[in-house]
Amino acid sequence: MPSEAPKRREKVELLQGTLDLIVLRALSTMGPQHAYALAARLEQVADHPLTLNQGTLYPALVRLEQKGWIRSAWQKTENNRDAKYYAITKAGQRALGQQTERWRRLAGLVDKLLLGES
Amino acid sequence: MSIRRIVLRLVNVVRRGTAERDLAREIASHLGMLEDGFRQRGMTAAEARRAARLALGGVEQTKERQRDARSFVWLDDARRDLAHSARLLRRSPAFALTAVLSLAIGIGANTAIFTVANALLFRDPPGVGEPDRLVDIGVSREFGGFNPGSYPMYLDVRERATTLTDVYARVMFPHAKSFAPPGTSRSVERAFAFEVTTNYFTALRATPSAGRLFDESDGDRGPVAVVSHRFWTRRFNKDPDIVGRTVRVNGQPFVVAGVASEGFQGTGVVAPDLWLPLTVTAGASGARSSLTDRSGGWLIMGGRLEPGVLLPQAAAEVDAIGRALNQEYPASGSRGLRLLRASRVPGNDTVIAVFASVMMIIVSLVLIVACANLAGILLARAAARRREIAVRLAMGAGRARLVRQLLTETVVLFAIGGVAGVVFARVMTSVLVPLLPSPPFPIDVTLALDGRVMLFTIVLSFLAAVLSGLAPALQASRADVVASLNDTVPRRFGRTRLRGAFVVTQIAFSLLLVVTAGLFVRALRQAGSVDPGFDPRGVELASLDLSMAGYTDTTGPRFASDLLDRVRQLGDVQTATLAVVVPGGFEGIGNGVAVPGVTAPDGQRFFNQYWNMVAPGYFATLRIPFVDGRDFTVSENADAERVAIVSEHFARRFWPERNAVGQFILRGVPGPRGVDLPPEPLRVVGVVRDVKSSSLIDGLAESFVYVPFAQRYMPLVTIVARTTRGQRIGDELRALVASMNPGLPVVKSETLDDSMALGLVSQRVAASISGSLGTVGLVLAAIGIYGMAMYMVARRTREIGIRIALGAQRRAIVTMVLRQALWLAVIGSTIGLALAAAASHALSGFLFGVAPLDPPAFIGATVLFAIATLAACYVPVRRATSVDPAVALRHD
Repeated sequence: MPSEAPKRREKVELLQGTLDLIVLRALSTMGPQHAYALAARLEQVADHPLTLNQGTLYPALVRLEQKGWIRSAWQKTENNRDAKYYAITKAGQRALGQQTERWRRLAGLVDKLLLGES
Repeated sequence: MSIRRIVLRLVNVVRRGTAERDLAREIASHLGMLEDGFRQRGMTAAEARRAARLALGGVEQTKERQRDARSFVWLDDARRDLAHSARLLRRSPAFALTAVLSLAIGIGANTAIFTVANALLFRDPPGVGEPDRLVDIGVSREFGGFNPGSYPMYLDVRERATTLTDVYARVMFPHAKSFAPPGTSRSVERAFAFEVTTNYFTALRATPSAGRLFDESDGDRGPVAVVSHRFWTRRFNKDPDIVGRTVRVNGQPFVVAGVASEGFQGTGVVAPDLWLPLTVTAGASGARSSLTDRSGGWLIMGGRLEPGVLLPQAAAEVDAIGRALNQEYPASGSRGLRLLRASRVPGNDTVIAVFASVMMIIVSLVLIVACANLAGILLARAAARRREIAVRLAMGAGRARLVRQLLTETVVLFAIGGVAGVVFARVMTSVLVPLLPSPPFPIDVTLALDGRVMLFTIVLSFLAAVLSGLAPALQASRADVVASLNDTVPRRFGRTRLRGAFVVTQIAFSLLLVVTAGLFVRALRQAGSVDPGFDPRGVELASLDLSMAGYTDTTGPRFASDLLDRVRQLGDVQTATLAVVVPGGFEGIGNGVAVPGVTAPDGQRFFNQYWNMVAPGYFATLRIPFVDGRDFTVSENADAERVAIVSEHFARRFWPERNAVGQFILRGVPGPRGVDLPPEPLRVVGVVRDVKSSSLIDGLAESFVYVPFAQRYMPLVTIVARTTRGQRIGDELRALVASMNPGLPVVKSETLDDSMALGLVSQRVAASISGSLGTVGLVLAAIGIYGMAMYMVARRTREIGIRIALGAQRRAIVTMVLRQALWLAVIGSTIGLALAAAASHALSGFLFGVAPLDPPAFIGATVLFAIATLAACYVPVRRATSVDPAVALRHD
């Protein structure tokens, strides 16, 4: 329903930064993955598996690929199914480092603020 | 966003297909894996399919979001919208054709008017350096603008102005001259020479395309000429050897110094064949001291602002110079000086701008009507597509997206309309321009479709598209999803009312157009029937420049008198005379006049006054009645007592209580600076009725003082002959003049009626443009009413069917359909008539005393619209009365 559109967009925007980070992190630690596997990993990480549809991943993948942080190639899965595998690039590794650092700092700051207030 | 991403996204707009296929494949694989997972957890195939789609969150939504990130969706959409619009338009060619045609007319008419205004007001003159620093100077007119001035005036301005450099002068109108090419001495050809001061080319920073341009080093007496590029091409086939050869103009030899650059024609619209130093031609013509006569009006001055000087500063200085000159030379009559930015039509910028604005408003009306018409049709089409739109809204299409798509269709229409409009504008200007009476000298106004015109048309088309497309698009996208899908037709008053508003707009504005056209036509007829104080019908004119054949102040009058005798002996001639000024023209001779015992309002002794020099029989020939006294006689020549005839207005002004005949007036004779020569006393021998002369436009009578041609000779003179039965005798007059002196060409030959027509150009153009556009508006309004009524009948088919089934009379059905259409027509007409009443007041200056609420124009237009409304309703009424209840009630 059109009336729900703004709420949904808000959710996506909130997630965007974190989602990019999570995807990069997953690819960096787990090696090349397809969207399904990434989504499964995401659901593992998140407390509530229903907070997001697996389709939410696609804009993030396109964005990251266009930034040159990941690249993709069609390969066969172990079940002999065609799947598009995403792998992190060198630029992606660098970006992951920077982003992680930024998040840490930000999280630390927020933590401090919240603790200070209580 | 990084450049890299922008580029990639743009690439994806273009390579949509590949990316789409890739995405579809990836999502299919993803779904497959999800399904596998769910099945492994024990779901059936069908359950797994459903669960997989739920987990993904909708296939289409996912794709849409990915596309959003992948490329510029709006760009992609725009491309699809364009294709979609083109398809829709191809499917309804009648609609597309009507829409494009009406838009083409609206946009085309606007473009045509703007092209002319652009050419006259905004375009820089070709071949002139730094044109925006140039100014024009002339003798100020009471209501803005200026008239030409005299040579001594030019010398004074040049000497005194400190804010200007390169002060120059040029004649106002070029005259035809006899021309002999190099190597011949017989002057059988005609050429238009533009006399200018020798610093003319330097002041305009002009460059030659061959040889050199004359300048001040040639001196006042240097017989040199510059040939225009056009004349050089046309007459000499671009022969470079022409430079340095001698040509003869009016028998006088001139050495060709060079050729002007291509397209150069100074700052004005006149396109002369050659330029001559005016000090040389004026010196040779034998014209009564035109270089020393302060009262003459034949030169437009110009100059260039000194660096750092602003226009108002220069204007203030020139104004001060003008006032100082009035103090120093009272006998020439009180006249001020005015400086304006240089223009193609010096001193008449405001007149042209006002007229162009009036025409612009008129042609904008037709565009408004076309837009309203189109908006109405688009609204109807949107109503027809209500279901499609509702389906798309239900499936989650964004409203902005839908509005954009509907607007695209309109923009496509207007783009086509705009292009067709430009073509139409070309046709219109090429048809219109030859209809205008041509001035007696060549003019060249390049009606170019330059960037400014193109920008104007594009902005106009776009603006019109948004204006007429936005409301329908917004309305359509507000479709009530549930009602539309259930196909219960809700009574949506909003939409009908909006549509009605468009029809009302159309009727109102096209009625306004038709009334305006009616008023101008009435004004033209009025101008024809208004008594100008003389009878212009059946009068032949032939203008001569006696200086062209070398006549002087002593030989000229004798030749003129002989000529007049011979003209009178022609078989077809009833009466004939000579005159320097012909009523209805633009040129006038101004000079100071003093009346003993009366002081001018500014404390000066002399009043500014218009003069005419005429031969005996002038008043009889033009049928200007005498109020008192008598005509000039043949014996009143240079040796006799100086006499004058004054117009009634003049007599009433100066001798309100007394008889004018027998009184004396004094003609100012300007001398050297500060020293007036003794004024010339003239005895008034007659009083004649006023004539409406050059000021036909405002319908005012000017006061005139007439003196015998024999007592005040001028080389430029016109034969005025009334023929016995109104026949044309131009050829006979030409032959007669040639038989008396083969070297004297007739400069201009026309009837007095034609010569006066020039003064009515604005009304004629306005009448023909508003008339033809009014017709278009009327047709469009009729289409609007027709569409509205058809729409109403279609929507209420079921209701009509029920009424008929229940036994409603035919008449009741007819009334039902007509009532709505007529109601709109009445509202529209009322608004239109009110607008027209306001407009006619604003236009009263152009209407020669046609009453602003002229009954024929207003009633005629109203009747015309009533007929059009009824005609437009004929088919819808037929449709309504022929509704078959059985069919209508089953109608889905």
